[in-house]
Amino acid sequence: MNSSVTLSLSKGAPLAALIVVLALIPAFVRSDYLLTLLDTAGIYAIVVMGLGILLGFAGQLSLAQAAFLGIGAYTSGFLTVNLGWPVWPAMGAAMAVSALVGLIVGYPCLRLSGHYLALATIGFGIITQLVLINWKPVTNGSDGMTGIPPPQIGSFVFDTYGRYYYIVLVAVLVCAYVAWRIKTTRVGRALEAIRENEIAARATGIDATRYKIIAFVLAGTYAGLAGSLLAHMTKFISPDSYSFDQSVVFLVMLIVGGSASITGAILGAVLLWFLPEVLRPLKTSYIMVYGAAVIAMIVFMPRGLIGLLETLRARTVRRPPETA
Amino acid sequence: MHFDPVANMQLLISGLAVGSIYALVALGFVLIYNAVGVVNFAQGEFVMLPSYVAVTFMLPAVAVFGTIVHWQVPVVGVYVLVLLFMVAFALVFNRIAYHPLRDRGWMPVVISTIGVSIFLRNAVQQVWGSQPIVMPSLFSVDTIFLGPLRIRPQDLLILGVTAVLIAFQFYLFERTTLGKQMRATAQDRATARLIGIRVGRIVAITFVYSAVLGAVSGLLVAPLFTVTKEMGALIALKAFAASIVGGFGSIPGAIIGGLTIGVIETFGGFYVSSAYVDAIAFIILISVLLVRPQGLFGERVAEKA
Repeated sequence: MNSSVTLSLSKGAPLAALIVVLALIPAFVRSDYLLTLLDTAGIYAIVVMGLGILLGFAGQLSLAQAAFLGIGAYTSGFLTVNLGWPVWPAMGAAMAVSALVGLIVGYPCLRLSGHYLALATIGFGIITQLVLINWKPVTNGSDGMTGIPPPQIGSFVFDTYGRYYYIVLVAVLVCAYVAWRIKTTRVGRALEAIRENEIAARATGIDATRYKIIAFVLAGTYAGLAGSLLAHMTKFISPDSYSFDQSVVFLVMLIVGGSASITGAILGAVLLWFLPEVLRPLKTSYIMVYGAAVIAMIVFMPRGLIGLLETLRARTVRRPPETA
Repeated sequence: MHFDPVANMQLLISGLAVGSIYALVALGFVLIYNAVGVVNFAQGEFVMLPSYVAVTFMLPAVAVFGTIVHWQVPVVGVYVLVLLFMVAFALVFNRIAYHPLRDRGWMPVVISTIGVSIFLRNAVQQVWGSQPIVMPSLFSVDTIFLGPLRIRPQDLLILGVTAVLIAFQFYLFERTTLGKQMRATAQDRATARLIGIRVGRIVAITFVYSAVLGAVSGLLVAPLFTVTKEMGALIALKAFAASIVGGFGSIPGAIIGGLTIGVIETFGGFYVSSAYVDAIAFIILISVLLVRPQGLFGERVAEKA
């Protein structure tokens, strides 16, 4: 993968066209249901991109993304509903709180790696969900929180799914840009070195623990933003949305898309979010198909959809496949 | 809250019983980890699946795919059927979820075992429905009196079976050729292969043994709770925590870690907070990782490079 920092024109033009097409979608899609799905897909894409920074770039597996989603959602919910904050500062606070929690949790956990990190993050996720259920004065327990206000600019209120779509779109683009900047600059190269061989990376003077914590905090911040976006969109939050299973779904989205690729993360999130709609004839058994798909993907398509696309493209232009 | 020695003794016994279950499942983790260097995230389903199979053969009436079956096999027959089922399951599991990925590092295997876990949890829901199923206890009474102590006979059964299994495992690993081959494979696969050990077969046997441990834990624990698709998940996570607390890769560590977490959790749930009882194992885990990252008995906690 070429890591040129500036976007070349040949790459920039299709990207601009894509953004224009994306921006026009609400003008043509009138179904509120479809727009909800689109908004949520975008929000999940942010969570999955965050996980991509941690897993795809740095090679560290976390199963706590849903917990950070919950922390973001409840920070936003608490500040706006209980303390009457306006929405935008609450969103900022949601990101800040998630980042802070990421730092506090990441500090002990990222002395670990591999399985230990995965387990520690699962434990953190379970503790977070228990806190959301039991800390009633702040979270209102299992009843959840209602009446979370939508954001507004001046007198323009983002109270329809069509309007909210633009907030999500901007957030996705900004998050993708930040992730891309990280990937193509020093931090990204350090993370990649850690992923490929942590001991060698340390030997070249990379402070691996510090960079892993940075990646963990970024992943948490992305999820925190997404949680806040979700809370202000649905106006209702409850603890059961932030379970271990949800973290697994995010992981699956990333793996299916292609873990080291930003486009892959977005693609995986959007496709798998719409997959249940496609699989609706299967009713409740679609999660079973999900599970089987994960095994099949990891066995047959280790680099995800993006890996498949790159291989196909490389074949059609008769070039050896690029090494990622 | 006054200090009551009888109540504390009762708590200790039920804590040790819960801890025994964690210890058995933790052993399953450690054996697989030692043999193939990965953590099996479907270990909880190794507990849940045999419980479903058991109730299907045991109960007078169970709905399978919406059809009521009345097998009512005698208890010993049920145990044999469950064990056979888990042996077959472990062999298939090894073939599908581990074997194709064996040369690709730990993460693909972890992800594929997570896939198996999602698949099985929802597959059992398709087969047996989402209602919890009650597994009858072997005992006609819930509690018995031992002097002043009120004790569940199921707890005593759990403690007894665990002790026998641990003794068996010690015998297997220290005294038999198969056990020595398993240890050699765990220590150094390449060298094990060089001296003529059929590593692939030993790995398959390890998966089978781990699944049998899961089946025993499931059969022991199911009468205390109910059989649900979620029953194994939390047990497995806590068992995993237990194995790290004890020192990952260490067999005595897994046993002592399991018992420790079981006891602290039971006392904590009684004296401190029942709402946060499921957090206790992870709080212990994170504290141990901070203070003594190698665990109580472990040498190292970093991944093999």
